[in-house]
Amino acid sequence: MKILVIEDEESLRESIVAYLKGEGNICEVAGTYWNAMEKINLYSYDCILLDLTLPGGDGLKILSEIKNLNKTEGVLIISARHSLDDKLSGLEMGADDYLVKPFHLSELKARIMAIVRRKNFSGSNLMSFNEINLDLLAMEVRIKEKLVTFTKKEYDLLIYFISNQGKVITKNAIAEHLWGDEIDMSDDFDFIYTHIKNLRKKLVEAGAKDYIRSMYGVGYKLENV
Amino acid sequence: MKLAQRYNRANLITSFIILTITGVIYYIAIHFILTGKLDKDLVIEEKEIEAYARNYGKLLSPGDFLHQKVTYQKLTTGQTIERNFHYAEFYNEDEKEIEPGRSLITSVNLNGQNYQVTISKSRAESEDLIQLIFMITLAVTILLLVSLLLINRFVLQRIWSPFYSTLGMMKAFNIAQKEEIRPQLTKIDEFNELNESANAMAARVRKDYRELKNFTDNASHEMMTPLAIINSKLDSLLQTGTFSSEQGALIENIYTAIGRLIKLNQSLLLLAKIENKLISDVQDIDMQQLVRDKALQFQELFEKDRLTLEQEMQPCNIRMSKYLADILLNNLFSNAIRHNHSGGSIEVVLRAGLLTISNTGKSEGLDNQLFERFSKSASSEGTGLGLAISKQICTLYGFTLTYQHLENRHQFLVIF
Repeated sequence: MKILVIEDEESLRESIVAYLKGEGNICEVAGTYWNAMEKINLYSYDCILLDLTLPGGDGLKILSEIKNLNKTEGVLIISARHSLDDKLSGLEMGADDYLVKPFHLSELKARIMAIVRRKNFSGSNLMSFNEINLDLLAMEVRIKEKLVTFTKKEYDLLIYFISNQGKVITKNAIAEHLWGDEIDMSDDFDFIYTHIKNLRKKLVEAGAKDYIRSMYGVGYKLENV
Repeated sequence: MKLAQRYNRANLITSFIILTITGVIYYIAIHFILTGKLDKDLVIEEKEIEAYARNYGKLLSPGDFLHQKVTYQKLTTGQTIERNFHYAEFYNEDEKEIEPGRSLITSVNLNGQNYQVTISKSRAESEDLIQLIFMITLAVTILLLVSLLLINRFVLQRIWSPFYSTLGMMKAFNIAQKEEIRPQLTKIDEFNELNESANAMAARVRKDYRELKNFTDNASHEMMTPLAIINSKLDSLLQTGTFSSEQGALIENIYTAIGRLIKLNQSLLLLAKIENKLISDVQDIDMQQLVRDKALQFQELFEKDRLTLEQEMQPCNIRMSKYLADILLNNLFSNAIRHNHSGGSIEVVLRAGLLTISNTGKSEGLDNQLFERFSKSASSEGTGLGLAISKQICTLYGFTLTYQHLENRHQFLVIF
């Protein structure tokens, strides 16, 4: 997967790149409007992360340029502007998703994966992790060819974990992903524990290995065992 | 007390006192003048009697006097009379009644014999004159007072009307709204000056307010970038290696604090946006459906605290931003959960134009400051902005949001 990170804040850019790299992913970066334009014109990517406030020009202009060039890249806008208008005009202009800063890197990765999947696997949107196979169109999970039923939250959680395999995902990130950031969870994550416990139980009972581990009390990680 | 009333009172009291004093002086002066004139007349008679006695050697007969009465009395030798004027009664024979009079007692020498002469004259005419003058003065006084009152009432009211109009506009002045103070045109310099000052002040206040708001807005925006960096660095840090559970707890504390800071910042930005009316996705909202959705969304939180939810719903459609409607309900539901006790209940009643959410709670009734920014109980983990935002949303659409503590329940009422 080839990703272009257009973000002027160097420190944030580094974190994003460090998180996304690996597993065969290649990240390129651009810190200014012109730098970004140049890379977009020269190369093609699977997904472009686009910050809207850039030195040299408005990120939305880059978006319209991408569309003018008939490029098929998925575009994920990452903006500090929590503005409905920006979001709507961004999506209307052809962006695939809109993520407001600050965000969790795990959320970013999950969104990128979703965009890339949608772009690449037209028709059958599949996802797998070892013996766990997901059909995202049919919303079905099969483990060793056997259909397993999950609740909506468990299903979302499983996709989230597989998108971020090998990474520690914090409880905050999980809570925000499942319930949105508008519901104030009172910093009490007991109910996340319940969902994860159920998810693990169902996976193990269906014959999968126990891939999800609790990490230092801060979060969870799905990885090969 | 109103200025006009106060001024009127001073004016009336002063006028009354001055007019009374004038009246008294007037009375005394006229009385003095008229008595002087009477006395002059009496002296003329006296001269006449003396001259007659000298020239003719006899006394004028009392019957020869018109309007006067004269009596003579023979004095014994050596007896002298001190000449004096005094007030006395006067019997008017024509009208057969006693009138006030003025008498002069003097003496006349007729052929070596002294006689006491008393000349009396009626004061009725001068008394009548005094009375007439007094009546006229009184009438003038009353007329003056009445006209003063009328002037005060009607003219002053008209003169002051630009003042009241300006005052009304100053009362209605809203710092967040763009409307200018448009004063009534007036020719009175003081009021023009007042209007100019009021407008200058309003402009200055607005400018300061705008700057302050922009500052808050910019500060919140600027803070978002470092917060995003801290958040991403924490996420990165977690991937770097193995941590002890102690270190894990520390990292979690940092996450929590950052999370609160982010939430706080977002709330401030949202408040600024609502105040600036920058949220435009107004649409018809099926409140019944939205409340149902929210109840489902919060279900796990209800279950966690073993809260029971009672709903009584009727259709209710409202025009507002969907985004803000979501936030309003989120805040009210979150509050009802957060300030509840384990095993408590939440009751949601929706009728056309009315939504109440009430919950059992730990604390006693709350004071009226709960809608203020950053007002929260010490134990609360919220930002202290949730209710301020809810209130602001309601204000934006002309809804009213009130709180009351009824039968040990905290009740929030929204009237759409």
